[in-house]
Amino acid sequence: MTDPNPNRPIPETAVEVSSIDFYYGKTKALDDITLDIPKNQITSLIGPSGCGKTTFIRCLNRMNDLIEGAQLTRGTIRISGVDIYDKRVDVIELRKKVGMVFQKSNPFPMSIYENIAYGLRMQSIRKKTIIDEAVERSLRNAALWNEVKDRLHSNALGLSGGQQQRLCIARALAIEPTIMLMDEPCSALDPIATARVEELLFNLKENYTIVIVTHSMQQAARLSDHTAFFYLGKLEEFGDTSKLFMNPGNPQTEAYISGRFG
Amino acid sequence: MTTEPQEAPTFFAAEKNPIRKIESAVLLLFRLCTWSILIAAAAVFLTILIKGLPIIISSQFPFINTDFLTQSPETLHVFEHKGISYELADSDFRAFQEKTGKTIPSATYAHSGGGLFPAIIGTLLLVIGSMFIALVFGVLSAIYLSEYSKPGKLIDFIRLSILNLAGVPSIVFGLFGFGLFVIGLNWNVSLLSGWFTLAFMVLPIIITASEESLKSVPQGFREGSLALGGSKWKTIRRVVLPYALPGILTSSILGVARVAGETAPIMFTAAYAVRDSLPWEIERWSDFLSKVSWPCPTTFTSLVPKFLKTNTPNVCSMEQHWCCWSSCSRLLLFPCCYADIFARETLGNPLQTYNYGLK
Amino acid sequence: MESNSNKESSIKDILSPSPKFWGIRTEQWIKVFFFGNAWMSILILFLIAVFLFREGASFFSLRNGSHQLYRRAGLEFVEEFKLTQEHFTSIYRYLNEVRTNQINILREKGMSFQEAQEKCVEIEDYAYSFYDLSVRLGELTSELSDFVTTFRDQFLSNENLRDYQQTLVEAGKVEEAEAVQIDPVDFELIRTLLIEQREVYNETTTALVEDISSFRKTFPELPSGETQTIHSRFIQETDAFIASIPEHAKRLQEWDPDKPIGWSSSFTSFLFGRNWVTNSFWQDWYGFLPLLTGSLLVSAIALTIAIPVGVFAAIYVNQVAPSREQKIVKPCIEFISAVPSVVLGFFGIAVLSELLKTISGWPGLDWLPFFPITERLNAFTAGCLLALMAIPTIFTLAEDALDMVPRAHIEASYSMGATRLQTIIHIVLPSALSGIISAILLGFGRVIGETMVVLLCAGNRIIIPDISEGLGVMVEPVHTMTGIIAQEMGEVERGSIHYRALFVLGMFLFVISLTINGIAQRIVKRVKTTNL
Repeated sequence: MTDPNPNRPIPETAVEVSSIDFYYGKTKALDDITLDIPKNQITSLIGPSGCGKTTFIRCLNRMNDLIEGAQLTRGTIRISGVDIYDKRVDVIELRKKVGMVFQKSNPFPMSIYENIAYGLRMQSIRKKTIIDEAVERSLRNAALWNEVKDRLHSNALGLSGGQQQRLCIARALAIEPTIMLMDEPCSALDPIATARVEELLFNLKENYTIVIVTHSMQQAARLSDHTAFFYLGKLEEFGDTSKLFMNPGNPQTEAYISGRFG
Repeated sequence: MTTEPQEAPTFFAAEKNPIRKIESAVLLLFRLCTWSILIAAAAVFLTILIKGLPIIISSQFPFINTDFLTQSPETLHVFEHKGISYELADSDFRAFQEKTGKTIPSATYAHSGGGLFPAIIGTLLLVIGSMFIALVFGVLSAIYLSEYSKPGKLIDFIRLSILNLAGVPSIVFGLFGFGLFVIGLNWNVSLLSGWFTLAFMVLPIIITASEESLKSVPQGFREGSLALGGSKWKTIRRVVLPYALPGILTSSILGVARVAGETAPIMFTAAYAVRDSLPWEIERWSDFLSKVSWPCPTTFTSLVPKFLKTNTPNVCSMEQHWCCWSSCSRLLLFPCCYADIFARETLGNPLQTYNYGLK
Repeated sequence: MESNSNKESSIKDILSPSPKFWGIRTEQWIKVFFFGNAWMSILILFLIAVFLFREGASFFSLRNGSHQLYRRAGLEFVEEFKLTQEHFTSIYRYLNEVRTNQINILREKGMSFQEAQEKCVEIEDYAYSFYDLSVRLGELTSELSDFVTTFRDQFLSNENLRDYQQTLVEAGKVEEAEAVQIDPVDFELIRTLLIEQREVYNETTTALVEDISSFRKTFPELPSGETQTIHSRFIQETDAFIASIPEHAKRLQEWDPDKPIGWSSSFTSFLFGRNWVTNSFWQDWYGFLPLLTGSLLVSAIALTIAIPVGVFAAIYVNQVAPSREQKIVKPCIEFISAVPSVVLGFFGIAVLSELLKTISGWPGLDWLPFFPITERLNAFTAGCLLALMAIPTIFTLAEDALDMVPRAHIEASYSMGATRLQTIIHIVLPSALSGIISAILLGFGRVIGETMVVLLCAGNRIIIPDISEGLGVMVEPVHTMTGIIAQEMGEVERGSIHYRALFVLGMFLFVISLTINGIAQRIVKRVKTTNL
């Protein structure tokens, strides 16, 4: 399945999700989801707890494969035209191109430098100059460089919560993915740290496709270009953020946004 | 924010570099290690089973060689008569001699004929007695540790000593039992000495297992009882302990496995190689506890010195040994393994905590 | 109204306390009772220490007494004669070996045994003549040995008689006590007689040296060639012998029967003694080293197998295996620990040792230096079985340690495109490392404390393993600390030095196991506090 024309213009859709069903064992977690995630934009997924947002996002880089009994039973997810659940796809390579930041920051118990270098070392990149340059670049991209440039070799666990999360973002950026998946990245952060991260995301979207799960509708409204509303495993509505919030087409969406449930 | 992201990925194909191959090889190695352990263990188990089975099973009803299980060990006579070679136990041999009316010369092997009955009895007695003592002391300790104690240096010290006690070699227990019970308290080599030595050896397992069991009692039970005006002891006695007791008993089967299988502690405290009378064939009641003991199948103290002296056991004694060992080990292993698995299912592996508090 | 007053009085009941016994409430008594029980384990550990010490402590003074007697009665003196004689005899044995090798070489070339023997008659005669050189020394040595042992034995029986006297006196039978005949040993006599022997030694050895020097100039022609090499080796050996004589003479000069034995000498001689000899006519020696090295060798073999296999299996089951396989494999491996050690010992002695010996005899494996194995029961057999016993311990604890690695880190690693093995090596293992080390230490503790397997399978030869053989040291028979206690305890007389020596061994084992446990606990504790 080699692309016959590697130089064609980059498609506008980064991820094409078509009619997927997803099960954890016997429980259906996602029901007939169809969604096109646009490239180089921020798409946010909103909805009440337990409605499949995290499940969905973990499908995109096949992190659900780590869970026993979890499987995609129907439909396809295509990234750049390739069905990522195809047997020929190497999931390791997939994850190098689709990065993830988790809800609770999880820096490795190593130095800041080593945390960021980790991904590069896994790809057998050993030259110090390359790694140094990548570390600085990622930290700058994550708006953390100025704060830690003097203590790159101190333990990452000594950073504050917000800094740790930004470190995790930097770590994910270091391997230069094209798509960044973020699962409620600010839920454990105070407002100031949240603001910093949001600013960061805003700057990143120029070069990365970002999908962010968020519990806060205000954050979705602030940040994203497109919003998808998930409810009980179904995609209720998807569209341009301002349109969705001003004029939701789906009554469920409207009820959620106006706070009548959630 | 200066670099361009890479060209959109065209294909998530696996890089066919040698590193991937090395990785699969290494993971395969790990898998081989795991399975080789299982194969080795199975080999041991099956060898003993297969070699010993023929002697336990007989072709007639009731399909078990009852003689073997119900007789005492006797001398084995190996001889040839009219061209046919025989192996007979002592009593059978004498009967044979009477029948033919001749005295027949034979090679004799001590303890290689007859059955294992006294040894089985001995093991049973030792196990029951020591488990009883260990349960009494162990459950009481566990009750303190789980119900009454407050975290602190003292408790840490107690837990530390429980773990250290679990790591003491069994032969040191044997020496200790000898020094304390046989000599110090003047109990001589007897059932009592054996009981207490084994009980002390198995105590850490019982304590840990009981504590796990007690911890699994929902806190709501205790609170409910206390809220109704029950005292702490009453709560334990009427609510906590009955609920935890089945778990305590099942997990103490692991202790049974250990007690039945240990040789070293009883070698000097409880076991005689040759004793002609069974525990109840004695004159006075007091003799029962103080003077009686028996070799247990696992210890086979009679066989151990024999093995040491005759470095190349001959065929006949080998056969007898095989069947003895196999029967004993199977008698032991089956309940042990069953208990093991059963206890694990019910208690979620108390062995983990037994194994030195890593959790 | 009635009910109100009832309620009031019943509420007042709260204020009346529960009954007290001797000033303490029942509940408190119960708590104290349980608390007392909780102290059981500490108490037992304490009792173990106390009783081992009680039986074993007098070893040191008894041993010093025995060594003192060894010195006073002259055995120490005659020891030098014996050593000289033994050294000489070892050279004689070497010559015999040469002869046997020659015969073997000739037979390989196709000669029959008869013919080969005839060809080697010269070297045979040469060896005999060599031995004859030492006849005088040999006679002297055995005379003196008998002399001193008679005195020594008399001294010991005098001691017994004195004890007997004592019991008679205590029982009130004073006359009978006095009737007991005790001939005291004349140590002065011994001393004077032996001092004279110094000269005799010097004379004899000088004569011997001269004889050897002239004797070794002539050396028979060996049928297989190599005469030059063997001749020079022979000269080397005899040179060493000759060089050792002045040392013996010196010690003879320095011998002083009244020199006291230092109080620490029994301790050091136990710890560093290279011999464990008991029930000998000459002198018993209690040295720890052969047993310690035996235990360590067997443990080393066992751990070399068990550590990689156990840890790899733990990694596999915890990180790689699908959960179905996990559920089957894990209990099976843990079940192995329920097998009684005697059963494994029996398996070893009946099956494994034969199997290993047969495998070692296969012609294809000749290139291994120590194949084929000569001794059926050796450290390697015991080591293999001990590995099988240690593996479940190491496996279970290592697997627990791997389990404790936070899932978040593992997920983060995977989400960055690391492969399974990379995640294991870079994230999982470093995190679980101290737990794994703890597991290994506890496996070591289990292995070194194991009795029955080594008793049955390790060969029971009390000697420090000869490391000069390189890896071949693995297939030597050895004895271990645990095995020797088990073996000799049954044969030993209560209260004798030997008996107490075994208890001292028990003390050492106890201390070793506590130390290993303590270190393992420390490691785990340190991890727990840093991971909080």
